Amino acid sequence: MAAPSVNVCVEAALENPIQEVKYDGQEVYVAPLTMSENLSKLAHKINFFKDESEEKGKPTSEGERETDEEKVLAPFQPSLWPWDSVRNKLKSALTEISVLYDVLSIVKEKHYMVTDPVSQDAPELKAPLQMIAKKKSLVSVCQILNTGADRLKRVQAEMDSNTQDNFLWELLQLRKNWRLKKVHNTILGELSYKSAGSRFWQGGTFEVLKTSDLAAEGDVTNKKSSLDVSIPSELEGVAYIQVEVKSVPDLIDLTSATLKMPASLGAVSADAYWQQKLETAHNVLFCKELFAQLAREAVQIKGSTPHLVVGNQILTNVFPGFQLSIVLCHYTGKEKKVNLSPTKPEHNHVLEHSLHQLLRKVHDNNLNTSPPHPVNSMLGMTKRRRLAGPQAMSRQELVQMTHSESILEQIVKQTRHAVLRIRSMNVIDQLAITMQDPQICAHWSCLNNSLESSVRLTITSYCFEANRTPLILIIGIDNIRVILREGGTCVLSFEENELRDFLQWQICQHHAQSVQTLAKLHGWQVLSAIVSSGHGDIETYGTTSTVMLASPKGNVILAFHSSPVNGSKLSVKKVDTSLESNISPAVTAAKWASLAGEFKEVNLSQLEGRNLTGKIDMLMARLTVLS
Amino acid sequence: MGVSCVYSYPVPEGRSGAQVVEVLQKQVETLGGIKAGNFIVDCETYQSVMLNPPKTLHILHNSEHPASCFAILDSGATLVADTLFNGLVLYLKNFYQARKGAKIESKGQRFQLSDFVLKIGSVSLAGSMKGVLVEVEYCPSVVAADCWNLMKELLQSLIGNVAENPPPSLKPKMDETYTPAMTMLQYLDHFNSFRTAAAMGQPLR
Repeated sequence: MAAPSVNVCVEAALENPIQEVKYDGQEVYVAPLTMSENLSKLAHKINFFKDESEEKGKPTSEGERETDEEKVLAPFQPSLWPWDSVRNKLKSALTEISVLYDVLSIVKEKHYMVTDPVSQDAPELKAPLQMIAKKKSLVSVCQILNTGADRLKRVQAEMDSNTQDNFLWELLQLRKNWRLKKVHNTILGELSYKSAGSRFWQGGTFEVLKTSDLAAEGDVTNKKSSLDVSIPSELEGVAYIQVEVKSVPDLIDLTSATLKMPASLGAVSADAYWQQKLETAHNVLFCKELFAQLAREAVQIKGSTPHLVVGNQILTNVFPGFQLSIVLCHYTGKEKKVNLSPTKPEHNHVLEHSLHQLLRKVHDNNLNTSPPHPVNSMLGMTKRRRLAGPQAMSRQELVQMTHSESILEQIVKQTRHAVLRIRSMNVIDQLAITMQDPQICAHWSCLNNSLESSVRLTITSYCFEANRTPLILIIGIDNIRVILREGGTCVLSFEENELRDFLQWQICQHHAQSVQTLAKLHGWQVLSAIVSSGHGDIETYGTTSTVMLASPKGNVILAFHSSPVNGSKLSVKKVDTSLESNISPAVTAAKWASLAGEFKEVNLSQLEGRNLTGKIDMLMARLTVLS
Repeated sequence: MGVSCVYSYPVPEGRSGAQVVEVLQKQVETLGGIKAGNFIVDCETYQSVMLNPPKTLHILHNSEHPASCFAILDSGATLVADTLFNGLVLYLKNFYQARKGAKIESKGQRFQLSDFVLKIGSVSLAGSMKGVLVEVEYCPSVVAADCWNLMKELLQSLIGNVAENPPPSLKPKMDETYTPAMTMLQYLDHFNSFRTAAAMGQPLR
């Protein structure tokens, strides 16, 4: 056999036949037969009427009655034909079968006999008996349904009420979010940020309680959960850090330091869900730690400007005239209602968020040391510090590496940048609105961070956009770097006026440049173009740009002065070569004949034209025609 | 990192090392140098135990690079490592044993003269003074060939004709980017010459 033989197991099915199926789905099996029952069953199968006396001569069983006479008369003859009994039996079987066959043929053929069902009388209707029977059955049905309904009601009531199961389920939910531990009989939880890297001295431990069923059984309990938490008293209430940047004329506004500002915060109600209570307490702890860290830094670190810590407020000057105030507002619900100050404090959400992020970063650095984590060396060194050895860094470089910034320094930097950015924005926008002649267009870059932003300014004259002056301003923490048109850079301080003066100066230069471009258009020759000319009086800021143009024929000379302080001036000199008398041989062309002469100033305001460039354009066109 | 040149200033007969150091320091101060702390460069030697001929390993430290440790073999191969390397060498006790009485160091004042850093150190081997080493570092440059002339001028004004030529270990590498390991090689050369001079001087006594 090629295929391996498979063992086939044959066994009798041990299933007992099903006697009945109850209404609730339970099956009732026929009980298996005991040994004695099985024996009697088998005994019943034996045919005791079978004729065996001829064969074996054994006395028949009790059921068969054979007369003694018959027994005597018919002696046992063993020599008789052995198949006699068989023949008799077959004969009788034949007779029986023929009878059966006859009956069946009669029934089938229907020639001589027909079978007809006998109509039976309908049983007598006993109405009252029937009703009683029906009632009984209905009653039993009702009972079954009632028991089912009762069971469902009970389960529903259990779900609603505060039982042990509900508490456990709530506890499971609590464990998913918070760390719990069991101390003797009480369950305590941890609210602090210690596992996240915080080193704050204050820890928060809350206790988990079961809400006791004080109400009577019948009352509808309106408690949301069967679990309640008890927050430590110092973390009760709601807290947040209020960050405000305000401009004060004096150096530090001390009057505002004494004002406590518990703004209208909603206190946490006692009925609140435990998650909400825990989250609020968690936030209170975080704000406390943040404020404690800031206060410590404000006192210890010697910065360029002194910081003032008064109660729950930290005040520091970011710029002269600008003050940053950080207040820890903790509203526990037990204070008296304080009238809010008339000026609603402007809370700077961005800086508050930055503070939160900075503290989280400190926590993170406490826990996550940068890899590698060697066994023999110190943990927590940055990659640069680890490479300092192999790269043989000098002492200076190592000292530089140890400088790290505190949270307060970082937030002050961010505030400075924010203030500087807003102020620059205002200056540029105001100038753009008020100045119609060259148009200033500002594009602020989308890519910026909390310490640096950039803006691209374009100065153009309407209808003469071929010449445009681009400026890129990179606004840093306390200075502005400018990239000029030619690619040079200069640095401006944080003063507003400096930026305004600078932009005015750039506008003047733009005018001068436009006049040069016009010369190209009209075919005039540029005799000189000086960006920072030394003529005239010294201005308070900026320099004068001058352009001198000569007409194609050389008999009209245009001198343009553009100064940020004194404005633009245009002078024209018409030269009449025919009037010149003594022309020396050194003078080769007519245009060199009269370089000196009277310049007459042109009243720019009365010229026709939309803007300065347009006016000069018109004038040049006319002068070209005239000459 | 700048370019450094180390020279050994010969101590004339009749003068003590301390006097020479004093004189040099006065000269530097006259030039305009400002005192900027102390410095120390030390060298320990280890000898291999099993190899024949025995190999030598020198471990140098420089206060200018406090986080680093320099290991130099006698073939000239250098390794710049973190200071934990010292601990590692202790584990190699069975293979490299420290040579007794071979610790040599150069200690002294450090002067800052605008872009230059001048170090005048007195060399001591086993407690006794052996000589004077002058190191001049020009911080802005990283290639020795570019600034050799400038350094030569300053060196000659300080120590005279000793600085006629660049140091022998630096000569072949004038055009390469300068690394602190090259400074240590120069120091090692001087330390070795001091050691041999001391060894030679001893049997004469």
